[in-house]
Amino acid sequence: MTRTTLTAATLVAALAACGDDNNFPTNSCADVTGTCVQIDGGDVAGLQTTVNTLSPNTTIVLGKGTFAMTNSLTIRAAGVHLIGQGIDATTLDYGPTAAQVNGVDVQGDDFLVQDLTVQDAPKDGIRVEASDGVVFRRIRATWTTPGDSTNGAYGIYPVKSQHVLVEDSRAEHASDAGLYVGQCQHVIVRNNVVTGNVAGLEIENTQYADVYGNTADDNTAGIVAFDLPGNPIVGRDVRLRDNIIKNNNHVNFAPGGTVAKIPSGTGTFAMASRRVEITGNTYQNNNTGDIALISGLVIEPDTTKWELATATIAGTWDDLGLIPGAAPGTVTNYRSEDIVVARNTHMGSGLHPDLADPLQFGVLLILIYATNPVDSVLYDAVGEAMFSSTDPAMNSNTNHICVGGNTGGTFASMNLAEQSASQQVPFFRPAAPFAPFDCTALTGGPIADVVLP
Amino acid sequence: MRRPLGRRGATLAGALAVALAGCGADDAGGGVDLSQPVHVDVTAPPPTKLSAYNLFAWDPATGYTFNPTDERVVPYDLNAPLFSDYALKQRAVYLPAGAAATYQPELVFDFPVGTVLLKNFAMAPDLRTPTVGMRLIETRLLVRYPDGWQPLPYVWNADQTDAELAPAGDFQVIAFTDDAGQARTANYLVPQKNQCETCHARKPTPTAAPAIVPIGPKARHLNRTYPFGGAVGTVNQLDRLAALGMLTGAPATATVPAAYDLRALETGGVAAIPPADLDAAARSYLDINCAHCHDPNAVQGITSQLFLGHDNTDLFRLGYCKRPGSAGAGTGGFEFDIVPGSPDTSILYFRLATETVGAMMPLLGRSVTHTKGAALVHAWIAAMPPVDCAAM
Repeated sequence: MTRTTLTAATLVAALAACGDDNNFPTNSCADVTGTCVQIDGGDVAGLQTTVNTLSPNTTIVLGKGTFAMTNSLTIRAAGVHLIGQGIDATTLDYGPTAAQVNGVDVQGDDFLVQDLTVQDAPKDGIRVEASDGVVFRRIRATWTTPGDSTNGAYGIYPVKSQHVLVEDSRAEHASDAGLYVGQCQHVIVRNNVVTGNVAGLEIENTQYADVYGNTADDNTAGIVAFDLPGNPIVGRDVRLRDNIIKNNNHVNFAPGGTVAKIPSGTGTFAMASRRVEITGNTYQNNNTGDIALISGLVIEPDTTKWELATATIAGTWDDLGLIPGAAPGTVTNYRSEDIVVARNTHMGSGLHPDLADPLQFGVLLILIYATNPVDSVLYDAVGEAMFSSTDPAMNSNTNHICVGGNTGGTFASMNLAEQSASQQVPFFRPAAPFAPFDCTALTGGPIADVVLP
Repeated sequence: MRRPLGRRGATLAGALAVALAGCGADDAGGGVDLSQPVHVDVTAPPPTKLSAYNLFAWDPATGYTFNPTDERVVPYDLNAPLFSDYALKQRAVYLPAGAAATYQPELVFDFPVGTVLLKNFAMAPDLRTPTVGMRLIETRLLVRYPDGWQPLPYVWNADQTDAELAPAGDFQVIAFTDDAGQARTANYLVPQKNQCETCHARKPTPTAAPAIVPIGPKARHLNRTYPFGGAVGTVNQLDRLAALGMLTGAPATATVPAAYDLRALETGGVAAIPPADLDAAARSYLDINCAHCHDPNAVQGITSQLFLGHDNTDLFRLGYCKRPGSAGAGTGGFEFDIVPGSPDTSILYFRLATETVGAMMPLLGRSVTHTKGAALVHAWIAAMPPVDCAAM
């Protein structure tokens, strides 16, 4: 197979983007099999015309330089690969964009974006929606004004997509989530760095996700997994393993929404989640606490809003033991259940809970712990048949929460339904092995490896 | 993994032709000549000049003249028009000779191959006198090709003599005086070709792949009179299309539903809407401005589970005491989409009224607030019996 040198070269000439090898030092059409177009660094008109007259299965190689974008880069074809010269060499700069758009906005199967930076997008940095086969590799999504609530919402954002790989990338300074995987199936997120965001890395309503080797540093919250109410993709089979989650004490600068309620100093939470493994991670200096296992009732207390008509639910769900809703033919997914927390390392966290969070969770922790460190793993016990602050035998483990084998790790459950800042029920703080939470394996077996095509 | 080249070469050649022609070649054949028929060739790449279609002539002094040949270009208006930064719009439909659209009671009509839906977007320095100094910004075409609708944006030149195909769209800062005498500045975006899907992509069924569809030409929007002039006079648009043989299957106009006519809002503001009509008027406004995304079969907006179509009877999904999924900056610090009786704490109103990028709705096509439209929605929510959403 040879590349279509003539066509690509002619098109480049037609777009007056005269080729210059010095502009393509790292990647060029010479490396590409199939249809390929080179766009000189900064040639916005050439880039936009190319993208809007694109045939499927075209590779676009961007030269060195900064593209001063006045509108989204909108891709609506399958098989498009968008490749720059490196995150420090090729930048799509949306500073000049007045319209309310995402930076790179994609719907198309088999999409790849690699070796470039997207900065100052009005909305999301790179949003890929409803696509099967998505690769983000060595890219950076960032905003040049750290901590600004007018920054865009999500940096790297695959949503409603299948077979997604995000690797070796950076997400910085997003006013919501830096790296946000939403409503996807079959996902690998590895070896990325998320920093300066409100939420560093979020896995939302997603099935079969393997999240490993990432570093979450200096966000409001590090790496989290959760379901939101009413979404037909019930999150399941999520592995958060071998990540570094440290110093996530950034002030919460979200302009609003659910994420604005996250306490600063949060390492990880699993909310309204099931079949989750949180293993082998290193937690350090997260001031409110390292790991919270909580139900979705903290963000939506009305259980009827969590009802899902079984006929509408995506994927396999009937092995999950979801409890029926009040309405016939519905189940609910607000509980967190079937979670293993093991082999993590905890250092220096939980010493300064956030007293400003609107849920007053940090206030509760201060009242309970005073100047002592908050336990490494906190469980809200929502859905448990029994709770006792003192007697292990009077605590149930209905939700199959398994905690143990962590270095420097402690555990508490808290009967959150009865807690408030004005009235506290003492936490249940067992010593290791934390019975009855001393199980070690998920119901239904361990989470399988995610296999991407 | 790259796939073999195959037929892609031909497709790319088509793109190449566009790119080359876009560099200045003039294939229009000398501009519009209304003694000649309309020219639409769905087997060829789209012409780079709008004049090549020969659909209409535009003159600042006399306005629009639609091609009179065979009476196949028919101007029309909608009961409830989409707001686009106060742009002045003129719509028309062209159907090839002998072809007719098929009536649909709810969705957009079925249009035959070769159909052109055109919409001109113009601005004037002072919208209190819109015909003074009016300039065309862009003409958007939806052309029905054998494999579906193609959205084609054409941007008018500085001399206002023709418009050029602009797949990359355009961005213009436009200062004007609005219909209430206020100085406004719009960051006017001519959507790039691929952005047309933001509003025009729709799934035929909840599980089917999305396709490009028109939004306006539905029975309830077209069911109104239009001043066609001449011997025709002012008659119902559906009747006119049927009389020309351009629409089949339409029932008697009196039995066709009609969207609430928002002309009264545009002329008299919300004060001109009788209280008993507030619900119908606001729902009509939300339907045309929001429901192309906020609909169960839309692509964008589905995540919100907020459905603003005229026929949604689920008050929760209409926003009553509904928390948004992940609206971020879009909440304005408020908790519920609609707090009945309390527009100023309702996210829906906040997002319609704000001009903050990242918070405003709709996503595209509006950079300034539609003052009268926002006032209508404000009045609608204010008139609802109050509900304490937080207590529910």
